[in-house]
Amino acid sequence: MIELQHVSKRYRVGPEELEVLRGIDLTIRAGEFVSIMGPSGSGKSTLMHILGCLDTPTTGTYTLRGRAVQMLSSTELAQLRNQQIGFVFQNFQLLPRMSALRNVELPLVYAGVQSRLRRERAEALLAQMGLQDRIHHLPNELSGGQKQRVAIARALANEPAILLADEPTGALDSVTGQDIMQLFRSLNDTGVTVVVITHDANVASVADRIVFLQDGQVTDDSQQSGGSQR
Amino acid sequence: MSAGEMLLSALTSLRANLLRSSLTMLGIFIGVASIIAIVAIGKGGQTAIVSTIESQRVQNTIQIIPSELVAPGLPQPGQILQFSQSDFDLARTFPGVQNVYYTLYGTATIQTPTKSLSISVDGGPSYLNEIGHFAVVSGRMYTQADVIAHRRVVLINQSLAQKLFGAQNPIGQVVSIGGVPLQVIGVTQSTQVNFLSAVYGSDTAYMPATTCADLFPNWGITEMDIQTYPGVNKAQLSKRIVLALNIHDHQAGAFEDSSGFLLGIEKTVGTVTRILTLVIGAIAGIALLVGGIGVMNIMLVSVTERTQEIGIRMSLGATRKAILLQFLVESVMITLIGGGCGIGLGVLVAAIVHWLSGLPAAVSWWAVAGSFVFSGVIGVLCGLYPANKAARLNPIDALRYE
Repeated sequence: MIELQHVSKRYRVGPEELEVLRGIDLTIRAGEFVSIMGPSGSGKSTLMHILGCLDTPTTGTYTLRGRAVQMLSSTELAQLRNQQIGFVFQNFQLLPRMSALRNVELPLVYAGVQSRLRRERAEALLAQMGLQDRIHHLPNELSGGQKQRVAIARALANEPAILLADEPTGALDSVTGQDIMQLFRSLNDTGVTVVVITHDANVASVADRIVFLQDGQVTDDSQQSGGSQR
Repeated sequence: MSAGEMLLSALTSLRANLLRSSLTMLGIFIGVASIIAIVAIGKGGQTAIVSTIESQRVQNTIQIIPSELVAPGLPQPGQILQFSQSDFDLARTFPGVQNVYYTLYGTATIQTPTKSLSISVDGGPSYLNEIGHFAVVSGRMYTQADVIAHRRVVLINQSLAQKLFGAQNPIGQVVSIGGVPLQVIGVTQSTQVNFLSAVYGSDTAYMPATTCADLFPNWGITEMDIQTYPGVNKAQLSKRIVLALNIHDHQAGAFEDSSGFLLGIEKTVGTVTRILTLVIGAIAGIALLVGGIGVMNIMLVSVTERTQEIGIRMSLGATRKAILLQFLVESVMITLIGGGCGIGLGVLVAAIVHWLSGLPAAVSWWAVAGSFVFSGVIGVLCGLYPANKAARLNPIDALRYE
């Protein structure tokens, strides 16, 4: 479903050219639970941006559900992010002045879903996250774990191809972090493709497959047998 | 994203910064309010002046005056074209003419044994009070008989009576005008309730035209008042008399109906007030422009402040167009709300001016519609640059922005 072939990303920093990703080959199939691990500066954030269609590769090809992403215009990328990608960020990235419900509705708004359907879908998702009695709360009235659950509900709103999580436990205490990872685990069990980017080996170990990244290259790609903490 | 959704979203973010949004609206609010009020007051002033001029016309009377005070072909330069006795005789021959009078006016000195004042003197027919816009408050108006008999009688206005006689009854007193004694038979009060009363409100004495001509034989007759029978077509009659007078005096265009002169004044007044309204309106327009710059400034601040929000929205699938529209709608909403309230204030100011001064300051619908549309245009113009700046943000940079 996700196929990266010889993907490179170069940035111009002053007179020098910085190569952040060097010829990444990576295939992720539907229903997988993958962790992408690496130290800071390894290029994992850049890889996430490319996977999330926030950025396009300098060279190489990225195919998402049969579409060649590097060929797309900014409007088409936006539509792809809306329909195929669900982002979960380290610092939640909820809109502070909107209730949990409105936050979850937002991707549906951009998808042009009619307001009644939108509300039903958002309420169902929040209920699924165990937040049915928090739907009208503003983000600052929620705990860290609750915020991240709202963010996950929002990421799932348009039933994306992949759930892309960037350090999803980074701003949470370890117990809550574990809870969130277990939530990803159970979502994956219902068929959602999950990609978690992290530098934390404990977090990464929840996934079925761990991809190591170093200096912009894949150094290891291993299936975990029973690595999950079910 | 539907239109309703965008409006709701814009309202939400304006409400989140209520004070700032209101202050930004204030610029547009004041600009629009002043334009609405100025246009209404300007229009009202024009209407007031024109209706005042209109009120000078007297029923069943045609007034003929020389076209130009200094007419060509006169022996002395600076000599005023005057009516002669034969002009009056000629005018009397027209059917439909009941009577023809002349009015004289000038300045003279009025004297009592103890006082001496400079005043205006009006000499005219017995219905001078109608054309001269005054009422006799005590005593009586001079009669047709007084005019025919050249009687030495005079009416003075209230303030003059006060100055000359104080608390004493002025009726029956004798005053001297131009060295000739006259008996005061009445006291008058101006019936003009408009601004012209200030111009005409000087101390005035009114007397029969014949008496006035006796006292001041060198005052030229520069006004012919023709009293017509009711139901006569005044315009047609006036045209024919003017033509006959011009032929009689061998001067084409020497005389004209004073209503033409009044029309000319009306036209001039219209032009002057229009120019004034335009100039003051342009100044108010500058206020509006400054308000617009304020809107642009605040929108730029808002875009910078909400960079992260823009990044989040982009990551959730907002297209550049959606971001552009979001900020554009906000900016237009600021100017439209400001403009709408401004229209309200403008209408209120116009109403207060109307109530206080009696000026018919009416707000025209096109001024309302025009300023509303113009507010919207300002919103678009001033919102375009900030909105475009927001839409052009790189989603990654925007997300990372702290």
